[in-house]
Amino acid sequence: MAAGAAKPYPQFWGTVGMRPARRRPGVVADVDWPPGERPLRVVVVGKGGAGKSVIAGTMARLLARRGRRVLALDTDTMPGLALSLGIEAPATPPLVDAVDKAPHGCWRLKKGVGPVRAVQRFSTLAPDGVRVLEVGDHPTIDVKSVTPSVQAFYQVIHGLPEAKALQAWTMVGDHPAGPRQTVHDWAPYADTLLIVAEPTWKSALTARRLAEIARHRDAAVIVVGSKVRSAADVERLERMLGERVAATVPADDAVAGCDRLGVALIDHAPSSPAVRAIDGLVEGLVQGRLAQVATP
Amino acid sequence: MKIAVAGKGGAGKTTVSGTIARELARRGHTVLALDADTNPMLGISLGVGPEETYRLLAVRQGLDDGTVEHQESVEALMEAFGTDAPDGVRLVVALREAVAEASCSCCGVNPPQLLRELEAKGRTIVCDLEAGIGAIVKRGQVDLVLVVAEPSVKSIDVARRAAGTASGADGDGPEVIVIANRVRDEADLEAIEAALGDYEIVVVPEDPAIMQADREGRAPIDADPDSPAVKVLLGLAERLGREPVPA
Repeated sequence: MAAGAAKPYPQFWGTVGMRPARRRPGVVADVDWPPGERPLRVVVVGKGGAGKSVIAGTMARLLARRGRRVLALDTDTMPGLALSLGIEAPATPPLVDAVDKAPHGCWRLKKGVGPVRAVQRFSTLAPDGVRVLEVGDHPTIDVKSVTPSVQAFYQVIHGLPEAKALQAWTMVGDHPAGPRQTVHDWAPYADTLLIVAEPTWKSALTARRLAEIARHRDAAVIVVGSKVRSAADVERLERMLGERVAATVPADDAVAGCDRLGVALIDHAPSSPAVRAIDGLVEGLVQGRLAQVATP
Repeated sequence: MKIAVAGKGGAGKTTVSGTIARELARRGHTVLALDADTNPMLGISLGVGPEETYRLLAVRQGLDDGTVEHQESVEALMEAFGTDAPDGVRLVVALREAVAEASCSCCGVNPPQLLRELEAKGRTIVCDLEAGIGAIVKRGQVDLVLVVAEPSVKSIDVARRAAGTASGADGDGPEVIVIANRVRDEADLEAIEAALGDYEIVVVPEDPAIMQADREGRAPIDADPDSPAVKVLLGLAERLGREPVPA
């Protein structure tokens, strides 16, 4: 699927002397990064409404403020990450121009468009220097027209793990609700799955299912309790999940308020309890000290 | 009668579907509750409990491990991947997460196909759709689409598109009713009306009883039937049951 993987990548933001990337998945893990500087590769998953986008968007901004180069990836065809990052959602699927139709009828990345160039040309700049690549938006009636962008996005993200020019980049992905994108491995760049769960049964069962799926994959799985009101809520969530909750983001009127206005939490309520909690989550991820779910 | 329920994840689709299905059954309808979400949680809102809800989820996955037989007809699917919920509602989990090859009814049907193929005669089908507008329904598949919107920018946007897609470019689609969910004040309602004012809007107030039921894994209709939000949904179900939408 990863078209262009064997092609030489163009120069990219000051990176020079690129060689053709060979198929070498997990290239990030092969490098000895100084402590605390290992690029994070995280995808945020969970039930709809649990708070995935606000957590992913705020994390991306906070990581960028810590001096990291951050690529945010929105896999949802109803994009929400842009709002949480503080930018407008794109009017048209950005990657539509990155693909053309192969003779056998499949969409493929255009000649010369590898993952790196796709990020360079088709991503949007958000505050704090975060780069955002979005799968793009379903138009109202003609659902087909998002298909090329979806195909391109899929091919680009599957090229990310071996894209050497992006090796030092931190990546934060936002998945749509439910387990489907996780089953189909829509975040091959991620070495950490952040499962966001509210202390409700629907959210907890979704999280349990996601944790099961994630076990088949070589990735760290971390559960974040969302909209948590008390220590008792965390205990309840852990009982429902049968797993440890590694970090929590409290129920916070500021989050609901920003959702209602369609504005970024980090810009409009920077000192809210939720932002402080997400900063704590970021710190835990950077330090690598968040508890992972038990592996069987 | 076939009713589909659409909206953004977390907007309240499943709560609406479950409560309406139960109330229609209480009013004498033979109700098939179809969970067409790849993340099927309708069992919770219907009142079958968390364990049975999770078992049903795994039943579909059992196809992959070979512990469950494939089904060749849509009706057989209803039998194999379902459970009996209170008030005689039959709950069926319609989709599974991974579909590699579309070859048989249990693997290859998408919600629109399923809704088209299922005979509505003598029964009422309430279908809880997948979050977002990926699983859209069009003319001929359902008689009524309930579009659930909560007063957030993203939820309203999803609802606007879902409603627009359902009713069709020429307005020749099924009837659409918007359910304005978790409405706290006038401003909330105005935000929803501004985007969805072309449709009939049923207002469901913000109600801690719904959240509490979710926390306990119970059906709102069992946990607190007198709470304001449940009452609105029961009223809607009564109306839908009384005046069937023309097929």
